Amino acid sequence: MNSRFGSNALSILSLAVLWEVAGRAMDSTLIPPLSQIAAAWWKLLSSGKLLANLSMSLTTLVIGFLLAVFVGVVLGLLMGRFRAVEHFLDLYVNALMSAPTTAFVPVLILWFGLGVESRIAVVFLFAVFVIIINTMTGVKQVDGVLVEMARSFGAKEREIFFKIILPAALPAIMAGLRLGIGRAVKGMVTAEMLLTLTGIGAMIMQYGSAFATDSLFAVILTVLLVALVTMKAVQWLDRRLTGWKAEIAIE
Amino acid sequence: MSVQTVQQFVQQVQKPLESSNVLNGLNGLNVLNESKHLVEIQGVSKSFHKTVKESTTEIKALSDVSLSIRENEFVSIIGPSGCGKTTLLKMIDGLIPYDSGRIVINGKPVTAPGPDRAVVFQSFALLPWRTVLANVEFSLELRQLSREERAKTARDYLKRVGLADFENHYPHELSGGMQQRAGLARALAVNPTILLMDEPFGAVDAQTRQLLQEELLELWQRERKTVIFITHSMDEAVYLSDRVVVMTPRPGKVAEILDVPLPRPRVSEQVRRHAKFVDLTNYIWESLKRAMENHH
Repeated sequence: MNSRFGSNALSILSLAVLWEVAGRAMDSTLIPPLSQIAAAWWKLLSSGKLLANLSMSLTTLVIGFLLAVFVGVVLGLLMGRFRAVEHFLDLYVNALMSAPTTAFVPVLILWFGLGVESRIAVVFLFAVFVIIINTMTGVKQVDGVLVEMARSFGAKEREIFFKIILPAALPAIMAGLRLGIGRAVKGMVTAEMLLTLTGIGAMIMQYGSAFATDSLFAVILTVLLVALVTMKAVQWLDRRLTGWKAEIAIE
Repeated sequence: MSVQTVQQFVQQVQKPLESSNVLNGLNGLNVLNESKHLVEIQGVSKSFHKTVKESTTEIKALSDVSLSIRENEFVSIIGPSGCGKTTLLKMIDGLIPYDSGRIVINGKPVTAPGPDRAVVFQSFALLPWRTVLANVEFSLELRQLSREERAKTARDYLKRVGLADFENHYPHELSGGMQQRAGLARALAVNPTILLMDEPFGAVDAQTRQLLQEELLELWQRERKTVIFITHSMDEAVYLSDRVVVMTPRPGKVAEILDVPLPRPRVSEQVRRHAKFVDLTNYIWESLKRAMENHH
């Protein structure tokens, strides 16, 4: 863990130095030196502009992602448990999983207008399918012997579901959530750039078209930071819930 | 003792069995009153349907199996792989239905798993996300018991199988032998009349296996359960059992039923050197071989 942290720090530090040196050497607006980006970032932060836009973006992200988790886990559990539900839905889920979600943006505008609902819908669509598929796979991979064991001790369907299926599928569900949060961040920025210029996405478009590359990079780095932090949050939750699995993997 | 005398002996013990089988055919109720048989398996058959590329083939797993087991008896079922031993055990537990015939326990036909039976699984079937204690409690959670009572009972049985110090360990932190002790504790905790053991020691190393066999006999002597024990191992069957049921290859039928007249309590080192032990083990081998040869 410590050596991991060390090499991460070393990697970031060397990239920063390289960036700074390259930026100064080229002296162009295409790659501003890192120090200039940091200054722009600080300006955006202290003016309150970054935080205001960020909170707007994060609201979309959180609502869209939580909806995706709820719908994705419920549908995934049903599809994993009942073959009829799986056969009814897997065609659409698989198609939508690989389809470019961006293609649905015009339809979403028609359905939900240009407000926050549309952006939430985009985040939802980006995240939900990978959660469905992971949950379904998790349920289908539950060791049949455990279900048989529960049944032999007199467990009813409800008990089998809550005491065996759900905990056994939890690692796969959490893997779906980890993939889902990454996609949700993509969905968030995509919606803000393609639908209505709001939040972080609007800042990217604005600074991009104005060639304000230092501010542009400052916003992009902020997006990376959001992706990293949300991912770490889901990983933390995963370890809290399925610590037993990690220990097995280590051995 | 030569093989011949064993055979004579076997015929003697089989006689009362056969006569009770005759009665079975005449009147089921009558038999229940007259014999002290706890488990009655009467002409049970089972087929599975296997569908490969839209053509369904029927696989006959068991054919007309009859077997009666007395209360507190230790019966082993031995047979080649795929002879339907495990299928038979699952049907006794009520996990899968039988096609024809009857399985009657304590006068009632088996239709579903019940509190009078508990299974010990070959692969242990412990829940990896639960501690050993919580795993043993699992079987108790499905019955109406208070939290304190559950923990108390579970600890009591963990102690009996020698796992008292490991209640907070997770299954993956334990050896195979210890995991199976936990599986045994979970089964015993519900205080079943019948213990159904499906090759319980098949997944542990030879030394551990012998230890577990001794411990099981000790427990069985103390708890007085009826045990139906599936195994591949001939000496395991002879060492543990009152009777050994030899089965034919698929479709599984009862080839013969052998009495094990070795005195109890059985001390492993002594029993295994006993002439009768060696004879019986050899005889079972011959019997299995015969069953397999007749099959082909």
